[in-house]
Amino acid sequence: MKKRGIGIGSTFYGTGYGNGFPDVSKAIVELSQEGEIVLYVGATEVGQGAKTILTQMAAEVLGVSVEDITLVCEDTSITPDAGTAAASRQTYNTGNAIKRACENLRDEMIKIAVKQLGLNSSIGVKVENKKVYLNIFPDKKVSFKEIANLQGEETLKTEGIFTAQTTKMDEETGQGAPYWPYTFSVYGVEVEVDTETGLVEITKAVCAQDVGKAINPKLIEGQIDGGFAMGLGYAIFEDLGLHNGEIKHNRFTNYLIPTALDVPDLDKIIIEAPETTAPYGAKGIGEPVMIAVAPAILNAIYNAVGVRITEIPITPERLLKAIKDNGKNKLEEGKI
Amino acid sequence: MKKINLKVNGVDYSVEIEEDVRLLDVLRNQLRLTGTKEGCGEGECGACTIIMDGVTVNSCMVMAFQAEGKEIITIEGMATKSGLHPIQRAFLEEGAVQCGFCIPGMVLSAKALLDKNLTPNREEIREAISGNLCRCTGYNKIVDAIDKASKYMGKEGDVNGI
Repeated sequence: MKKRGIGIGSTFYGTGYGNGFPDVSKAIVELSQEGEIVLYVGATEVGQGAKTILTQMAAEVLGVSVEDITLVCEDTSITPDAGTAAASRQTYNTGNAIKRACENLRDEMIKIAVKQLGLNSSIGVKVENKKVYLNIFPDKKVSFKEIANLQGEETLKTEGIFTAQTTKMDEETGQGAPYWPYTFSVYGVEVEVDTETGLVEITKAVCAQDVGKAINPKLIEGQIDGGFAMGLGYAIFEDLGLHNGEIKHNRFTNYLIPTALDVPDLDKIIIEAPETTAPYGAKGIGEPVMIAVAPAILNAIYNAVGVRITEIPITPERLLKAIKDNGKNKLEEGKI
Repeated sequence: MKKINLKVNGVDYSVEIEEDVRLLDVLRNQLRLTGTKEGCGEGECGACTIIMDGVTVNSCMVMAFQAEGKEIITIEGMATKSGLHPIQRAFLEEGAVQCGFCIPGMVLSAKALLDKNLTPNREEIREAISGNLCRCTGYNKIVDAIDKASKYMGKEGDVNGI
């Protein structure tokens, strides 16, 4: 018999290294001799979109388009350390470092423009479209190229360093502020459980993900899709088959991961609640997007067939056994 | 050693091979077409998918000598001088690529589908790429991209020069 049920999972997750561990990101931005913006970042791109959103942030500060920025990434001989692409930390931590580096460059360019244009102060001076100009009298302007020429051979280069704020937990009580910021999510799924085979199919899913501020909504959607698939695999497919420290399921024939047929179309809801210490309010979502999936699925299974699963993955054999055991217990208790 | 003749992306090749090598090895190591990726090497993941005589195959599961006289399309054969293939364009536009390792195989599975069925529904698209594993994307944006590509190809035709 096929039985349907719905379940909800809700999580909050602290991003960054946390627990008082020094979490530092650095970035450098340069105005080249040709007046072009060059951004040096050590953040690793693994497909999550770091290169895209970090460049977007730099472009926003410097009033240029993304295409106007040359990104030099992941070259340890010339890029400063931005920490690992882990702990969902690049958007928040390295984003902050880049924002600072670019703000420093912007301030330096404004200083040079104020001097060059003979202005009284930097009030009302704007940086936009590769020039620095006085907003109330735009003819008073100097281009990035002219600023670069004024600099001569020594290019204008600024650094941005960001160190996240967390404290070590009290070892006795577990109290403290081990992470900042936190990211929140609520995922809901509808499952169909086949009580003959123990197979679980996800028939519908809705994912509401807090992101602080969506720097690039399409990339966030992609992260939610990917996180959902990983969470689904974690909940019902992926079993390492660990026996005495040996992984028995060491190939795709027995370590099953979701295929395109297993993942449903998702209803994705991006929740924006800007974080004040974050670059443009944006928080990391790399890990948060998968955490609520397994609890939501287990709750839906409970809703469908009345068995509370406490071990994952809930493979068909395990689920059938749990359903059978549950029936037996109820029989013994005289409930059915 | 053995000599085989095959056509890859419209070009005729005559290649000296060791008899125990796979088609994947010939493509990557001898023809230097490294766009075809090796994932599991045992026919499970689909990263090495190519099209041989109109049908998708895992090139890690085909012996090179079996490709004698065959016509093969790899990812390098998708774009033309006038630009990307509509499938590739749709993948870019929809944000269907994350780490990218599975993508050459995904694109070829998509082409094999759309060459036979230009108006697939989402379930048919999922079926067509179900032999291509992806760990990053959760497949949905890939399905979106193939759906979009089907519309492009319906309008523009298959611009593949082969």
